[in-house]
Amino acid sequence: MAPRTASVIGIGQTDWVGDHARVRSGEKPHDSNGYAAQAFVSALADSGISRNDIDGLIVGPTTAYERVGELLGLDVRWGGQADAMLGVMEACQAIHAGLAEVVALVYGNDQRSAAVNYGGADAQGGGAFLSYVYHAPWGFTSQGALYALMARRYMQERGMSHAELGEVAVAQRMAAARNPAALMRKPITIDDYLASPFICEPLHIFDYCLINDGGVALIVAEAERAKRIGRAPVAIHAVGRHDLNRGATSLEPRLTDYYQPAQKLVAEQVFGMASLGPGDMDALQIYDSFSLHIPLALEGYGYCGTGEAGKFMREHGISLARGLPLNTGGGHLSESYMQGWNHQIEAVRQVRGEAGERQVPNCRHVHYSSDVAGKAVAIIYGR
Amino acid sequence: MANAQRILTLYDQPMWESIQRERMALPKCSHCGTFRYPPGPVCAECNSLDYAWTEISGEGKILSWVVFHRQYFEDHPPPYNVIAVRLAEGPIVVSNLVGGEPEGSWIDQPVTITYRPHLNRTQHAFSLADHPTPKSKREEHA
Ligand SMILES: [Zn+2]
Repeated sequence: MAPRTASVIGIGQTDWVGDHARVRSGEKPHDSNGYAAQAFVSALADSGISRNDIDGLIVGPTTAYERVGELLGLDVRWGGQADAMLGVMEACQAIHAGLAEVVALVYGNDQRSAAVNYGGADAQGGGAFLSYVYHAPWGFTSQGALYALMARRYMQERGMSHAELGEVAVAQRMAAARNPAALMRKPITIDDYLASPFICEPLHIFDYCLINDGGVALIVAEAERAKRIGRAPVAIHAVGRHDLNRGATSLEPRLTDYYQPAQKLVAEQVFGMASLGPGDMDALQIYDSFSLHIPLALEGYGYCGTGEAGKFMREHGISLARGLPLNTGGGHLSESYMQGWNHQIEAVRQVRGEAGERQVPNCRHVHYSSDVAGKAVAIIYGR
Repeated sequence: MANAQRILTLYDQPMWESIQRERMALPKCSHCGTFRYPPGPVCAECNSLDYAWTEISGEGKILSWVVFHRQYFEDHPPPYNVIAVRLAEGPIVVSNLVGGEPEGSWIDQPVTITYRPHLNRTQHAFSLADHPTPKSKREEHA
């Protein structure tokens, strides 16, 4: 894929805070399809284009492609189902290949009201990712536990303290405090973090993502067409991916290299494609189902040296107050767990300069990173 | 809440039978000698389909450990530990540490396999190599 092939021309989301309150009071405001539909309508309005301009559709993994297409009345010439990062990448590929010109990406999830389990005997996705269920006989379950096991070894091997890991939760809560769409807006300190209960030790409750109902949508268009039809196109300068499948169930790539060899290869690809480096990034959005993702990506993508992430977070900073602004909407830990989709629209808002109280001044480039189930993916958004 | 279930594919079945006999075995590649865990139909190193079930030594070192404070399974009330062990044969297995616990860090502590009854099955656990091992059935019957 050549750089600058595609741009984001519209973003939308549902009322995470309002729906959260309704779910807590025992209501079921919408199902996954309902959240997806609301987010799509909001993104389409934001883009200013007509629904008839859309000729591609990607839906998130939590809804059925055919049904969402039917509900939204979208007959398209290209489409499929993908998670947030692969969805953006596939939209770029389809646009580059000439298979579509304007792609709607639509995500809706009722994981909180439906009480979806990410651990235990009903853990989701076990067939696809055997490591999520294979070690159950020994009580080892939940994705949080996988990151706890990584964190313990990483902290000792690379010399990161519990308090340094706590910098992630504290910084993201500070960002959420400035974001009216975030669920958890009460600031916390490192002491609050250290005093909070463990879920799977060494990870505390503040290291875990905030499971919530909601939807997110994006409209991605071919870059030249985006300039003609889009209200405020944000360029996708580069996308990259590298997967570590070998030994995945026995946790080899997690426990020995923390997925960082894959991130280093993706860094070469995306920074090369965009002719930019880590120093050119004004903000980062990192998939953070658990806090540990942040130090791993900081090292993996070269924002600091190997073994320096703890010190980097503590001394340089990763918040809106100082250092490198990271997960500026509050991320999965404090905004809402939208499975990487909320990070995409936060990146777009920052580049547009529409992030309100949490706006990073003169934000030109935003780097998105994820490492889910051994797939390291990066996207560079920019002006 | 339910009990923790085993994954029992065509290839896992013989491994669990070997654990039931308290002699854990894994498929060993007949071409390059690599042990497979989880057991599977092909060698990830050389893609050979040939293998022989081979008993492991039961020796290993702890790579990492966690302590669960939340309950996910009826048969695993918290708090309980889970360890990742690098077997002498190469693969990483997830298990539990039983018997004495090390002072301070558990990482790199040498461990030895043992077996214990759990629900209606036998499953492996590990104990510190330099601590008294809980007496296993295997020794009792020796
Ligand atoms: Zn082989």
